[in-house]
Amino acid sequence: MIKTKKITLEEPALIEALQQHKAIGAEALYDMYSASLLGVIFKIVADREIAEDVLQETLVKIWNSIHQYDATKGRLFTWMVNVARNLAIDKLRSKDFRNHSKNQDIENHVNAIDEQRNTTYKPELLGVKDLVEKLKPEQKKIVELVYFQGYTHVEVSDELEIPLGTVKTRLRMGIMELRKYFK
Amino acid sequence: MESGILELYVLGDLSPEEKLKVEEMATLYPEVKAELAEIEKTLGELADSYAIEPSEGLRDNFLSKLTFNEEDTNTSISNVNLNNKQQTFSSHNNAKVIPLNSSKLNFYKYSFAACFTLLIMSIAALFVLYNNLQESKEQLAVLQSSNQDYANQVNYLDKKVESTNEILSIYTNPDFKLVELKGTANSPESKMLVAFNPKEQKVMIDMKNMSMPAHDENHQYQLWALVDGKPVDLGVFDGVNPEAVMKKMKAIDKAQAFAVTLEPKGGSVNPTLEKMMVMGAI
Repeated sequence: MIKTKKITLEEPALIEALQQHKAIGAEALYDMYSASLLGVIFKIVADREIAEDVLQETLVKIWNSIHQYDATKGRLFTWMVNVARNLAIDKLRSKDFRNHSKNQDIENHVNAIDEQRNTTYKPELLGVKDLVEKLKPEQKKIVELVYFQGYTHVEVSDELEIPLGTVKTRLRMGIMELRKYFK
Repeated sequence: MESGILELYVLGDLSPEEKLKVEEMATLYPEVKAELAEIEKTLGELADSYAIEPSEGLRDNFLSKLTFNEEDTNTSISNVNLNNKQQTFSSHNNAKVIPLNSSKLNFYKYSFAACFTLLIMSIAALFVLYNNLQESKEQLAVLQSSNQDYANQVNYLDKKVESTNEILSIYTNPDFKLVELKGTANSPESKMLVAFNPKEQKVMIDMKNMSMPAHDENHQYQLWALVDGKPVDLGVFDGVNPEAVMKKMKAIDKAQAFAVTLEPKGGSVNPTLEKMMVMGAI
């Protein structure tokens, strides 16, 4: 894929451009974050086409509600990922998505479920090291459920039948573990 | 800090009260803030590691949904769009892409409109001209026929003048001798006039003022000249002849008298004297 120029801005400049609804802001937003956001969304909805729809929604929502972002409370990307995750999870639970799944052939059903549960290998992720794989199984499960399935820690606690405190600790340990790889 | 609440804060998985508490702590303790930044960074990088490049059209699609505040944005955006599109084309097939610039397109558009208008106007003009032509043709035909009428009339008058002149020339010519033929016992009422010019050996009969009884289809009158007591044939004529005024008969240079007999059609070698209708001596 060739692009003439990818526009990148420093975070404060980007935020300002977005708040003023300048074209350069929209272009930079797309060029800087669309791939990462699509990755997160895809992890959740497990369908390329739907993921791109959700990405569009996410970007438009970011554009329209940039004033809700408070720079003192965290990074822009954290906020954007949360917007993307929420929209993706809404999609996953929506009637649309369930119909979409129903339309798939019986034979594909097992695959579809596997895909939605992230248990199969996806060619789209070729070359990307699956960092979560590096975690201990109990940490991995929680990070996946919370970060990519949008479960709340309370839901995870119910689902895995482990105490809330343990969920939080394992999540923390998992993220601490991941930090090492990014150092 | 060790409880995992900061991670949940970054993940947006806290109640509003808990959130406020974390934010309060972050402003009070720099190490909390640093820890939060660290978690954010990690989760950000985790997300980055799963990055998938979106489809090519998505960028333009997204940008087209937005409205911008600057005035110059449209051009910058459309330029970017144009670039991307051209690259899409060239990356899919190596065919040369020749962009149609809009002014050229406009030129063709207007040319087409102009041509079409001209075509319509031409057809209308052709129609009007065709009607005029038909009208002219009709007028021409009328004029031609009236012209023909005039020509006929002129011809008729010419002929009339000619014959009148002929008669006049005969009657005024002193060389012509006018011989009046009078009715015989066969037809006492009959009479006719013969003009004789011995000099030019001309014999004319006046058809107009002739008064002879009608004859049937099988007979004709025959003019005879009496030359030294012998009858000489001068030709036949019909009793009724509406066209001719003067009729020229056969030539003779001398005669003492003229006579007309009724003969079978075509004439006879010798006159049938019993059927002599008129006669007159010079």
